[in-house]
Amino acid sequence: MRRWILALDISHWTLTLDVRLMEQPEAVREAFEQEFGRFARFRGAESAAFDGLRLADVETTLRELSDLRTRHTGKKSALANLKKQIGRAAAEERAQFAQAVQQLEARIAEEIAKVERALQDTAARLRTERERLDVTLPGRRIRRGHVHPINLIRQRLEDIFVAMGYTVEDGPEIENDFYNFTALNIPESHPARSPQDTFYTTDGFALRSQTSTVQIHAMQRRQPPLRVIAPGKVFRRDTPDATHNPMFFQIEGLVVDRGISMAHLKGTVTEFLRRLFGTDVRTRFRPSYFPFTEPSAEFDFSCFKCGGTGCALCKQSGWIELGGSGMVHPNVLRAAGVDPAEFSGFAFGFGIDRMCILLYDLDDIRLLFENDVRFLEQFD
Amino acid sequence: MNISYNWLRELVAVELSAEELRERLTMRGLEVEAVTQAGDDYVLEVAVLSNRADLLSHLGVAREVSVLMGVPLRQPDATPVQAEGRAENFTAVEIVDPDLCPRYAARIVRSVKVGPSPEWLVKRLQAVGQRPINNIADITNYVMLETGQPLHAFDLEKLYERRIVVRRAQTGEKLMTLDDVERELDAEMLVIADGARAVALAGVMGGADSEISATTRDVLIESAYFSPASVRRTARKLGMQTDASDRFERGTDYEGVVRAQARCVALICELAGGAATVDAIDVYPQKIEPPTVTLRLPRVRALTGLPIEPQDTIRILTALGCEPVQAAVLGGEQMPADTTALELATVYPGATFSFAGPSWRTDIRIEEDLIEEVGRHFGYEHMQDELPAANAVGEYRAHEERRRAARRALVAQGYSEAINFSFIDAAHDEQFELLPALKARANDGTDHFVTLANPIIETAARMRPSLLSGLLAAVRHNFNHGTRDVSLFETGRVFAARGADEERPHERDALALVTTGRVREAERATASREVDFYDLKGALEAAIEAMKTGALEFAATDARHLRAGQAARVSLAGQAIGTVGRLADEIAAAYKFRQPVYVAEMDFAALLAARPAPARYTPLPRFPSVVRDVTLLVDRHVSFAELRRAVLELHIAYCQSAEVIDVYEGEKLPEDTRAITLRLEFRAPERTLRDEEVDVLYGQIVAALGQKFAAHLR
Ligand SMILES: [Zn+2]
Repeated sequence: MRRWILALDISHWTLTLDVRLMEQPEAVREAFEQEFGRFARFRGAESAAFDGLRLADVETTLRELSDLRTRHTGKKSALANLKKQIGRAAAEERAQFAQAVQQLEARIAEEIAKVERALQDTAARLRTERERLDVTLPGRRIRRGHVHPINLIRQRLEDIFVAMGYTVEDGPEIENDFYNFTALNIPESHPARSPQDTFYTTDGFALRSQTSTVQIHAMQRRQPPLRVIAPGKVFRRDTPDATHNPMFFQIEGLVVDRGISMAHLKGTVTEFLRRLFGTDVRTRFRPSYFPFTEPSAEFDFSCFKCGGTGCALCKQSGWIELGGSGMVHPNVLRAAGVDPAEFSGFAFGFGIDRMCILLYDLDDIRLLFENDVRFLEQFD
Repeated sequence: MNISYNWLRELVAVELSAEELRERLTMRGLEVEAVTQAGDDYVLEVAVLSNRADLLSHLGVAREVSVLMGVPLRQPDATPVQAEGRAENFTAVEIVDPDLCPRYAARIVRSVKVGPSPEWLVKRLQAVGQRPINNIADITNYVMLETGQPLHAFDLEKLYERRIVVRRAQTGEKLMTLDDVERELDAEMLVIADGARAVALAGVMGGADSEISATTRDVLIESAYFSPASVRRTARKLGMQTDASDRFERGTDYEGVVRAQARCVALICELAGGAATVDAIDVYPQKIEPPTVTLRLPRVRALTGLPIEPQDTIRILTALGCEPVQAAVLGGEQMPADTTALELATVYPGATFSFAGPSWRTDIRIEEDLIEEVGRHFGYEHMQDELPAANAVGEYRAHEERRRAARRALVAQGYSEAINFSFIDAAHDEQFELLPALKARANDGTDHFVTLANPIIETAARMRPSLLSGLLAAVRHNFNHGTRDVSLFETGRVFAARGADEERPHERDALALVTTGRVREAERATASREVDFYDLKGALEAAIEAMKTGALEFAATDARHLRAGQAARVSLAGQAIGTVGRLADEIAAAYKFRQPVYVAEMDFAALLAARPAPARYTPLPRFPSVVRDVTLLVDRHVSFAELRRAVLELHIAYCQSAEVIDVYEGEKLPEDTRAITLRLEFRAPERTLRDEEVDVLYGQIVAALGQKFAAHLR
């Protein structure tokens, strides 16, 4: 430090002394190099000097380096002084002196820049490391809920039938005797009417035991031709077990028009099942008996899991039983004010709960109404 | 009905294996549920449809097989090996009540030897699940299983005056039935009596006194046709169900009475010795005429869509026992008498036939019944898939889009959809404040609940007037299974009794929400914070926003099931439609909830029907707004809504909105006060407001608020 001040002092009055003049850049260089020495090891970002260095160390070093630059190249630095002296130097020496000063300036700048670059690169690298994200952590959002599986299927069925030209209808869940039984051609003595099977209110109404009740409402509301589906809740006095609930969901389909045949029924059921399960579904009818249809048939469809070759789902038969169907009984048409001489119709119905069992492999339908969120969360 | 494969093959010679039969019968409507091996025999378990009484017999099933395979039916032998004397020499029959017993036949077999049945008979009965008793009882059983006609054997010696009287029981009359239970009878029950007392419950069960025993010598074989309704009523009333009542209830073959009896008598003579009378006393005062059913041949194709030829129709129906009794063609042309039905149908495919249904087919009554028989035996497997011509466009239920939008919005808010049973415990009756739409009805003085007369369990007898009890039960279920953070919603009907002038009980769509525990983030185990009133309110608002009904209004209220001071009445367009708040402590305690639970119930029907609030364009502001915040220290009772209304009602020019930034309450503030910070926004439509102008407006507002609420500006 002293030497440096001394050099300055000397410069004031030895301007014309060429030897001294030429010695000055050399002194400035030495002074710089002595101070720069501790930074020199950081030349090049891959230098071993960086090993184990933390970001804070690097940032400190960068700040120190910046101070060093100010001291050695700033307005008040020895180098700045030298540059001022260029103009005052004797003409014959000026060029040489100027060159020496320029070389010194370039060299100092280069030395500092080299180290600075290495330090900055390292700092950037360390900063990147420190701010590196764990992109596998889950995104931030509220945990969403889930639609009940019954309604998931119900929406899907409604979408399919609406696309097929059906109107979605609904009726009351508490019915009178006429709609629940009489209009459906269920005789007075039929066991379905017994309080063993059907829920009755204290004032004599029945909880609807099938969505077929909506057939009557629909025909009364709209005269034929019509095509409707009626999904909804129904009630039967079954004690809950793995395959029964006293409340469940059905969907009913009804088409009434001139010239409707059983082949239309079969084609419609097939078309709907293909839209639900895929184009290779086949259906078959098995003759059956229901009071509100004649002829009546149960319909099966080829197992969507094994394609008909036999598996656990279809109990090795290749067929899955789905529901009941048939041509609307003329008594039912009459009860709803439709002339069976002019119109014929078909109806079909099946359980949405049963569809749940099939589609989701459900082994206990009591789960459907327990509302355990661990259960509900499984469906989308 | 268990059908023995070997037995069946005696009645119809088919070459099909038991498994092949199973498949074929199932596709004809006789569903064979199982085939099991029984020694050298197979047993087919046939699920007989409830309208097919005739299939509760081997002969009935054999008839189907015979039509199916085109092989003739073989009626079993019914001629007794030994016969002498007329039945009237040994007994007498009187029907007092022919309305309940249109036909009764009695035949006697004398000098029988009661003992065990031969091995083949025992094996056969056992194969189909019957317990052998003695040869006489076994034979009556056997013939019933063969023909479908229930038969009963009386020990003739034990019949007082050796005669039969078929009559209604006297009220209070008693009868010890074969199962050793003493039955008390009423005047609507039909009994078989002797000269003195009831000896059998007609069509249901015999009496113990006249039972066949080891010492029985002469037997009276009863074969009758009883009114199905009468047998059903008696069996129901006494809680009895027997093989006989099963058959009589569905309707037996009234023309087959004597033949089945002859078959029984022939077997007794063969297997138990004795001599039969040459005839039976057959009391049949009024012959039952089978219904005549008209069939228009073209209707068969039209209704089934199957390519059925008229000849197929005649062939199938005839084989099933339907007899063509009359035919008409267009123009009323008379047919030569010797033309067969088959020929006629071939020449006139448009003809109309009348068929007399066979006496064993009580289910054939109308044209469609005949068509079903033809279609069924022609084979539904030949049916094509056709689609009816479209005549309309599809349509969802009214407001379906709103239902789905609400569902989607609630799911996005973290709520899962629940479905609960519609019947609940009456203990919840007074627990919940009902929806305004139901509450209004409760005030007319009548019982406002709908109650089940025959619930499965006593604690599920009430049709729910509120969805909340179900949702709270679901919360409890989840708590019990370790899930403490639960958010559920349900839409469904709630019920109220009908008013005096109404046709049926009242049903209304409701929407309910429940939330408790912590706010949960997706796929993160840690929960951020406890849910509170505002989370539930927010979810509700999100649902309503998605439904586009226009905004809800909330006002502090008291509701029976909500904690005081944390309850709001919710209104839409000025009409109250529900409540939201924290569950009252007493109810929470009853459910053993130890954490706050928030519930809401809305009149979903009102929301669905609300006029839609469509989006409407407002021109974008052309000049920037200026905002000023004001913090007011107010009494805790002063609501945000009041403050905002106060600001907006000043109608200060350019003051566009007042929104809440922050609410602070705590120990730094005087008791019963809180600090609300509002942000006021000022904007002029035509220019940029200067700060000095705004300062003046702001000053006016603050002064007005200060005056109205004694609010201190901080
Ligand atoms: Zn399968």
